[in-house]
Amino acid sequence: MSQTSLASPPARRTLRRARTGVLAGLLAAAACAVGALAAAAPPTAPAAATPSTTPPATPAPLATAPATPPAAATEGVADTRGLDQQIQGLKKDVVDLNKDLFVLEEELLFPANTQVAVFLSMDVGDFFSLDSVQLKIDQKEVINYLYTPREVDALLKGGVQRLYVGNLKVGPHELVAFFNGKGPSDRAYKRGASLRFEKGVGAKYLELKIDDQQKKLQPEFQIKDWE
Amino acid sequence: MSWQRPHGPTRRDVSRTGVLLRLCAALAALGAALSAPAQPSYALMGQPAPDFALHAAAGDNVRLSEHRGEVVVLSFWSSRCNSCRTQLAALNRSFQTYRSAGLEIYGIGVDDDPAQSREFARSAAVSFAMLLDPAKGVSRSYEVDNLPMTLLIDRNGLIRRVLRDYSAANETLYLQELRALLNE
Repeated sequence: MSQTSLASPPARRTLRRARTGVLAGLLAAAACAVGALAAAAPPTAPAAATPSTTPPATPAPLATAPATPPAAATEGVADTRGLDQQIQGLKKDVVDLNKDLFVLEEELLFPANTQVAVFLSMDVGDFFSLDSVQLKIDQKEVINYLYTPREVDALLKGGVQRLYVGNLKVGPHELVAFFNGKGPSDRAYKRGASLRFEKGVGAKYLELKIDDQQKKLQPEFQIKDWE
Repeated sequence: MSWQRPHGPTRRDVSRTGVLLRLCAALAALGAALSAPAQPSYALMGQPAPDFALHAAAGDNVRLSEHRGEVVVLSFWSSRCNSCRTQLAALNRSFQTYRSAGLEIYGIGVDDDPAQSREFARSAAVSFAMLLDPAKGVSRSYEVDNLPMTLLIDRNGLIRRVLRDYSAANETLYLQELRALLNE
């Protein structure tokens, strides 16, 4: 079976470029809005600031000067606060839009009818220290992932990693996973696991599970079909 | 009426001298440009450093993206390169000095034979991790065109400086750049 390639690199690049363009436009608009708001704000704050920087020539204004600046300063602070809130609102909008675009990109690149995703989880890990995982679908290597101690720690704490996402035609397929690492007695350890599965019209989710077999004092590698 | 040339330079002489002087200056500038070592441009300058994960000659695997927030120095080497050993020793000195300020240094061996790289890494006796890239995927992504080649990556993960070859002048420049990046 040949693997379909709907998510071709040029398409992905075009999408990313479009996404970056939209985000850049939004940020520019936000910057313009902030600039316009700053320009529209009444110049009370600078007026209030000037008396403090330039000392008055006569002692008489000294008595009257403190009466006006606090009110002006309060207005200035309120304006700044309002501006900050508007900036935060715009930032939130940008983040939300980015999230929506990401979901849209995923749906476009990996449509549900061809999508296949492989996840990896690890439990206990007393008998196996993970170093790398090589994944083959229909005898074609799709990923060879190297793990750092931080990533292994995250997996041992219950994290589930999306190792691979791609597109496959409807029909029978074979997944082979090779696990490399250190096994019992700190020796190099390599094991494989395979699964024949049927890709239907919906998205396919598979899980590679590394577990400890306490009875045999050996690690166990399974591939689980989530249906 | 005399046809003899008057004393003192004529306007024509002055303009001729000016042209000659300008020509000399242009030639001198050209000579200086040609004699200076040509520094080829680097396409990835100012760009985000490509992420990678590699096996270390001794110890744990390393992924570059896990070191965001630190100044990272990548030095590509080979066991067949003579100046690589000297440069790695110099890098080791700077690593011991600036490690506490947030400096990470990784040597990346590009030998085909990992055993040869391991042997070289062991004999180099440096404190930082020596990584192995026998498939040359990482050196290709960083467009390595010279050995040794050193890259300085800032705390935001951008490539800020590339140093090709090793010399005392290069080391001074490297230390200046490194201090500037650590102070950012």
